[in-house]
Amino acid sequence: MKISDSYAAHQRAVLGYCSLILILGAWEFLLTYVFPVNPFFFTKPSLIAAAFADQIAGPKLWHDLAVSSRAFLWGFSFAVILGTPLGAVMGWRRRVEYTLDPFLTAMYASPLVALAPLLIVFLGVGLLGKAVLVFLLAVFPFIFNTAAGVKSADPLLINVIRSFGGKEKDLYLKVILPSTVPYIVAGMRLAIGRGLVGIIVGEFFAASEGIGFAIQNYGDTYRLPEMFVGIIMLAVIAVLLTEIMRKLEITLAPWRAGEEVR
Amino acid sequence: MPPFIRAADITLVFKSKNRDPVTALNKLSLEIAKGEFVSIVGPSGCGKSTFLNLLLGLVRPDAGALQMDGRTITGPGQERAMVFQEFGLLPWRTVTANVELGLELKGIAAGKRTERAMELIKLVGLEGFERHYPHELSGGMKQRVGLARALATEPEVLLMDEPFAALDAQTRDLMQMELLQIWERTRKTVLFVTHSIEEAAYLSDRVIVMTARPGRAKQIVNIGLPRPRDYEMRLTPEFNDIKSKIWDVLKEELTIVK
Repeated sequence: MKISDSYAAHQRAVLGYCSLILILGAWEFLLTYVFPVNPFFFTKPSLIAAAFADQIAGPKLWHDLAVSSRAFLWGFSFAVILGTPLGAVMGWRRRVEYTLDPFLTAMYASPLVALAPLLIVFLGVGLLGKAVLVFLLAVFPFIFNTAAGVKSADPLLINVIRSFGGKEKDLYLKVILPSTVPYIVAGMRLAIGRGLVGIIVGEFFAASEGIGFAIQNYGDTYRLPEMFVGIIMLAVIAVLLTEIMRKLEITLAPWRAGEEVR
Repeated sequence: MPPFIRAADITLVFKSKNRDPVTALNKLSLEIAKGEFVSIVGPSGCGKSTFLNLLLGLVRPDAGALQMDGRTITGPGQERAMVFQEFGLLPWRTVTANVELGLELKGIAAGKRTERAMELIKLVGLEGFERHYPHELSGGMKQRVGLARALATEPEVLLMDEPFAALDAQTRDLMQMELLQIWERTRKTVLFVTHSIEEAAYLSDRVIVMTARPGRAKQIVNIGLPRPRDYEMRLTPEFNDIKSKIWDVLKEELTIVK
């Protein structure tokens, strides 16, 4: 009775964690007893866990994370600062949208990481090249989502403001801005994923520090457990940031909750 | 004494780039006295909502005179407020903040706004929902907020554009009764656009039947039933006579549209 009740209440979490534990368990079991491969070519959860404990105690992992975070934050900040106003203008002025849309859509759709080697030629190995790559990948969700948010402003609400004698300024502050904020936060959620790809790819190509470099370097030297530590750290960061954005979306726009699934 | 609201030969043509111009209103004339409850019925697309937008000041007529209290209407003004069919509530604002909107745009101080909003929330029976957001309210409650918001700025004229059309039948009956009670207390001049003959007859002093597009006032029916009115009045033969009188005028216009 008691157990089945609490199961029903937490079914989602219980099943989710069970599958995670089961997969890890199966991985460990298979590699220990069924295919005991050389740890040189493949690794298993117990070895990763040991490497993890080792890494979080030392300074290298944290240093790499700090280096990558700096480039990420620079690129991401500029994506917000430049992307949102540009998107707002595109959403508000149709001619600007018509002019820029083909170019921006092409850029958004193409795998911009292909530009990484070029950026490194131009900007060198280091903070600037990586930050620019993050910026290029993260800016588009801000542009397109802000534009969509501005366009989503309900004409009825604009009429309501006008009918009470509201001025142009009131339309911006009381209708268009609040309609756009949730779109910007949703854009931020997409931009985080793309920005992380940017940082890692940038560091794969040319870097001497950073989490992407660490993953690449451990891979090259066949230190697979250490490599997985980097990958897991990235996954944890991505999940955390995305969850924070989701919470922020719900807090800022409770009336939209449940409109979008993912 | 000049009439409180006077529309004389109002003509309005909608022009758009790729289509032929559409004459929405053609020489519409009518007069409304202060404190009167007047409904406008007419076929779809006859320009009845457009006429409310003219009175609100969001649209300007192409020809004709539109005056209130002897002054020509040139734009929105605090002596007129609209209750919208689709409510038009700001989803990111609580009930209280929505009711305060008009006062805020008028530049009233925050403390005074809230005080006034509380009075109106009480008047429309939404006590206890002050901090709720529109998405947490039913349709009827949303329109109560819409009504409170319009009344908050103390307009002399309340313009209501099919305010109960989006509600279910029972909520609609209830809202009609409550609107009448509020009207008895405040005695605003009300212009009420509706598709429902029954609603128009029940609420109004006079019902204006409009022609099919281009719209003008075809006939004005005096209701003349005693007030205050209750739901039972709707079951009397007198009420049915009035309804069929309105229907007789309206049905010719409906066949024209068809």
